[in-house]
Amino acid sequence: MENILEVKNLSVSFNTQYGEIQAVRDVSFDLKKGETLAIVGESGCGKSVLCKTIMKLLPSTAYIKNGSVIVDGADITNYSDRQMRHLRGRTFSMIFQDPMSSLNPTLTVGFQIAEAVKAHSQDLTKSQIKERVMELMKLVGIDNPAERYGSYPYNFSGGQRQRLVMAIALASSPKILFADEPTTSLDVTIQAQILDLLKNIQSELGTSTIFVSHDLGVVARIADRVAVMYAGKLVEIGTVNEIFYDPRHPYTWSLMRSLPYFSKGKDALYSIPGMPPSLIDPPVGDAFAFRNEYALRIDYEKQPPFFKVTDTHYAATWLLDERAPKITPPIDRGVK
Amino acid sequence: MRKNRAAYYGKKLLIFLISIFVLSIAVFYISRIAPGDPLVSYYGERAEKMTPEEKDLAREKLGLNDAIYVQYIKWLKEAFKGNFGISFKYKQDVLSVISGRITNTLILGGIGFILLFALALLLGIFCAWHEDRLPDRIVCQIGTATSCIPEFWLALVLILVFAMMLRILPSSGAYTIGGGGIADRIEHLILPVTVLIINHLWYYAYMIRNRLLEEVRENYVLLAKTKGLSKGKILFTHCLRNILPSFLSLMAISVPHIMGGTYVIETVFSYPGIGTLAYESARYHDYNLLMVLCIFTGIVVIFFNILAQIINERIDPRMKAEEALESGGDTVSG
Repeated sequence: MENILEVKNLSVSFNTQYGEIQAVRDVSFDLKKGETLAIVGESGCGKSVLCKTIMKLLPSTAYIKNGSVIVDGADITNYSDRQMRHLRGRTFSMIFQDPMSSLNPTLTVGFQIAEAVKAHSQDLTKSQIKERVMELMKLVGIDNPAERYGSYPYNFSGGQRQRLVMAIALASSPKILFADEPTTSLDVTIQAQILDLLKNIQSELGTSTIFVSHDLGVVARIADRVAVMYAGKLVEIGTVNEIFYDPRHPYTWSLMRSLPYFSKGKDALYSIPGMPPSLIDPPVGDAFAFRNEYALRIDYEKQPPFFKVTDTHYAATWLLDERAPKITPPIDRGVK
Repeated sequence: MRKNRAAYYGKKLLIFLISIFVLSIAVFYISRIAPGDPLVSYYGERAEKMTPEEKDLAREKLGLNDAIYVQYIKWLKEAFKGNFGISFKYKQDVLSVISGRITNTLILGGIGFILLFALALLLGIFCAWHEDRLPDRIVCQIGTATSCIPEFWLALVLILVFAMMLRILPSSGAYTIGGGGIADRIEHLILPVTVLIINHLWYYAYMIRNRLLEEVRENYVLLAKTKGLSKGKILFTHCLRNILPSFLSLMAISVPHIMGGTYVIETVFSYPGIGTLAYESARYHDYNLLMVLCIFTGIVVIFFNILAQIINERIDPRMKAEEALESGGDTVSG
């Protein structure tokens, strides 16, 4: 299948008073048409920064240090803000983590969705725009759109607001949708509804999605492929089955072991010891080595390259080198 | 709900009245115990040649021989009837002395106020637009420097340059005596208004700039960006709307501040407004005039302070949350 998005050796840094924070380090992946790629990892590993870099939504202290972003065949790495404006909304758009603060509290929701519709189709008449807005509201499951058109965000609950944000994101039928932890701040029943909605819309409109999350349960439900990120780097990427049934990176093992499922019958829930490293001065070798009970000496000295497991499955760990000792993963394979 | 609101405004009104009452007592006492002879302002140079008996008689006539609290009670009684006494200096009813001058002050203050906030808003937007880039930094530096210049000094320098050296603008007054017309009035306003604006502009522009920059970092701005909206559209339709309440409250808070500035400027430019009048009445112990001017100023200051307080309480996010809860019937989970 054709790639809609290619990210090559992307490194993003922030200038701060403490020094350069290397938020994303040498990340490469691609996204195919109509596919959902989930990016998982703990807080601060660079998942959100990665998405925002592609849409160029980062504050001015951030800069692309290296690498390129190719969207739909065009290299947008050095696009100006004006050029990006034409892509935002139409080529890609984004759903954010906190629906409570993503909508402007002082404008009606109808107006805010209409803005997104107008942004890329200037020749529509007023009534056409309104019609399209109501169509979008219906698409994301808001009842009585005609009545709710003039309501303000505070008239809606969290789940409904996330639906409205989705309506905005879908207004110009984007090719890529970035969903940055869209269900994290919602309660579980609403999460399920929003995920179903996201899935339906995707199959209906054929949008490619990058789904950022730290919730493996949610990821298993929605993703085609999964990329695991740690300390600004990708450590493992593969199809959802490969990652869940045959994970190869010790960090992925630890993530899986932290799921409550694996602690059944045990005294305590497993948690990864230690803290993620500082990204101001990241370690020379494998960033996860310090927390990894299977770390080899070389992990502290040299960064592991990506080893190929299958055509779709790659993992960056020295354990996959043929000289490495064979280790049985600490999780049962084949669990659901 | 309605009852609560009535109680709320009733409380504010009570605070307002008490403040004015306390202010009137304070001004009454302080003006009377201040050293100086009020007879000088009434009789002019004649007062110096008076014998002690004559002076005593004159004091009796002006009602200045009673104990201060007795004088105050008398004054208060008359004031409630609408009689604020006569001005010692002008020998006219106080209100008629003021009414001739108050329009001048309102014109100066009003025009200054409107221009000031229009410019502050523009400058604030300009700086926020160029956040931390060269234009913003330059304006910030210049702004900080200009806002530190004392207004009386700036006024004197401007008079020196434009009235003395270049001779293109008048140095004092509100209009040319015998002349008149709108153009003449405007000419007389240019320097005072300029001083007023230069002196206050940056303070407000900087607040608006910072408020806007706070707003630009909100999440909804990020969403607006993902729609493909331009920076201008986001700033003008999204952010400005959200700073409007703060802007209004800033305007309300600034009224007393600007009024004080107007008084100083009036004095330097000998502009015939109530600022100059207040200064003179304090200097010449023109008690009745001073009382009315102080109370008038006090009413304006306290009124706008309370107004600003009300606006601020209205835009407090906790108040908003309460309202959202009240309209809870409208919210359906889903």
